[in-house]
Amino acid sequence: MAKILVVEDDKFLRELILRKLKEENYETCFAVDGEEGLSKIQEEKPDLVLLDLILPGMNGFDVLKKKQEIPEIAQIPVVVLSNLGQKEDVERALKYGAKDYLVKAHFTLDEIAAKIKKYLPQS
Amino acid sequence: MASKDQIMEIEKMTKLILERDFALKKLVEEAKLQKEELEKTLKALFRKDLALSEVREKKDQVLKQIKEKTEELETVRSALINMLEDAEEARKKAEEEKEKTLVIITNLTDGLLVFSKNNFLSLINPQAEIYLEVKKEEVTGLFFKDLYLFPRFRPILDLLGEKMRTFFRKEVKIAEDLIVEVSSILLFGAKRERAGSLVILHDITREKMIEQMKTEFVSIAAHQLRTPLSAMKWSLEFLKDPKISFEEKRSTLEQLYGSTERMIKLVNDLLNVSRIEEGRFIYQFKEEDIMEVVKDVVEQVRPNAQKKGIKLIVKFPYVKIPLVKIDREKLSMALNNLLSNAINYSFPKGRIWINIEEKEKEVLVSVKDEGAGIPKHQQARVFTKFFRGTNVIKMETEGSGLGLYITKSIIEAHKGRIWFESEEGRGTTFYFTLPLER
Repeated sequence: MAKILVVEDDKFLRELILRKLKEENYETCFAVDGEEGLSKIQEEKPDLVLLDLILPGMNGFDVLKKKQEIPEIAQIPVVVLSNLGQKEDVERALKYGAKDYLVKAHFTLDEIAAKIKKYLPQS
Repeated sequence: MASKDQIMEIEKMTKLILERDFALKKLVEEAKLQKEELEKTLKALFRKDLALSEVREKKDQVLKQIKEKTEELETVRSALINMLEDAEEARKKAEEEKEKTLVIITNLTDGLLVFSKNNFLSLINPQAEIYLEVKKEEVTGLFFKDLYLFPRFRPILDLLGEKMRTFFRKEVKIAEDLIVEVSSILLFGAKRERAGSLVILHDITREKMIEQMKTEFVSIAAHQLRTPLSAMKWSLEFLKDPKISFEEKRSTLEQLYGSTERMIKLVNDLLNVSRIEEGRFIYQFKEEDIMEVVKDVVEQVRPNAQKKGIKLIVKFPYVKIPLVKIDREKLSMALNNLLSNAINYSFPKGRIWINIEEKEKEVLVSVKDEGAGIPKHQQARVFTKFFRGTNVIKMETEGSGLGLYITKSIIEAHKGRIWFESEEGRGTTFYFTLPLER
């Protein structure tokens, strides 16, 4: 069973995503800010990270950059799930190694779940 | 008969008489002569006098003429002086005019460059010297192409080209911190012949910065708005699922309602911020009883406080506070923000003190909580837009990050001050003052 880490500061959104992922039979864990997100990636070694960008303290971009610098976790795929939608934001996230960039308000949870599947090891 | 003696006597007397007569005659004649002489003299004298008065008259005439001439000369002189003065004035005016033009050129806040018709730089004003980081001595008189030596000139020269193209308000980034709008105009002489080109450099760095801030604001605002929207979208998606339980439906609906409320508050806050920034946040000041205003706001937030079991303790002074000139609606908004923050960031069953007192020429209002507090390293940013304490995001709170920004501008519009004391984990006290009119 694949494990997904959700880094999301908004409680309600986080709960909705986590509930959906559990429904899809994923193992889940979460973090509410950038620092916690980065340390959870190292502790939990998830199969995929769903990362928000606007986070208190260290933002999502920094998490992406720092993650790339740590060899043990550099290969873990990250899908950005944020409400930032400017072209520059998308380009920056992809440059820092994000696999995909999803604007929250543009996708249903079903669509998000389908997107995630692509980046997970086929089990 | 007369004696001889007698005759002799008579003869003698006759002789005497005759003699006397003669003498008399002579005398008379003499007198006559004298008289004539006198008359002559008199006449001569008279004539002389006449001549003299004639001379005098002539002299007077001459004098008069001289006087007239002098007067005439005087007028001529003063006319001449006037003319000279006029000429001087005209010269001064011309000089002043010239100086004025120079002063204008020198003090113009825009940069000016003038090229001769053969493309030599003939004038550069101080502002352009600053923009282009050159001294006028090193560039004046240089040929167009030679100005490429100076790096800041290059983008402008590229735009102008050798033909000295004319254009209006072209944006040029001269340096990282300097963006100018360049206009190029042809100059014509009195006979409509080409006299050269005028290049105007207008600094728009600040406008560009504001523009960028606006873009950033819009993108952050869009982000903030999308968050409750995503929540609505996803929870509606979830509610469509026929498999979910009644309990799940109920709690999702409740949260959905919360998201809607949050969205409304956010839209209002965003509108207020944009009004504040455009200076369209209109204030209508009226004399009000500040204690009434506080009471009202406390009642507005009481239900929220009760939900978390928080006690609101209001302390009014014993003596009535004089009326204060305020915009009741805006001040209520500011107070509501402070009280809502205190409730949101308090722990359940906490206490909040609201205190009003009159201090010298001010009313001091404070809102004290025993809540999460603001981390020391973030305290400087509390009143900035979209600020949210890192420590409270983990709490079950939501906020636009705009409340304190709006509150501060409301208090300041009332000529009051706002500040706070805070310790992380122990609580925060916000204070604000309103001036009392003397």
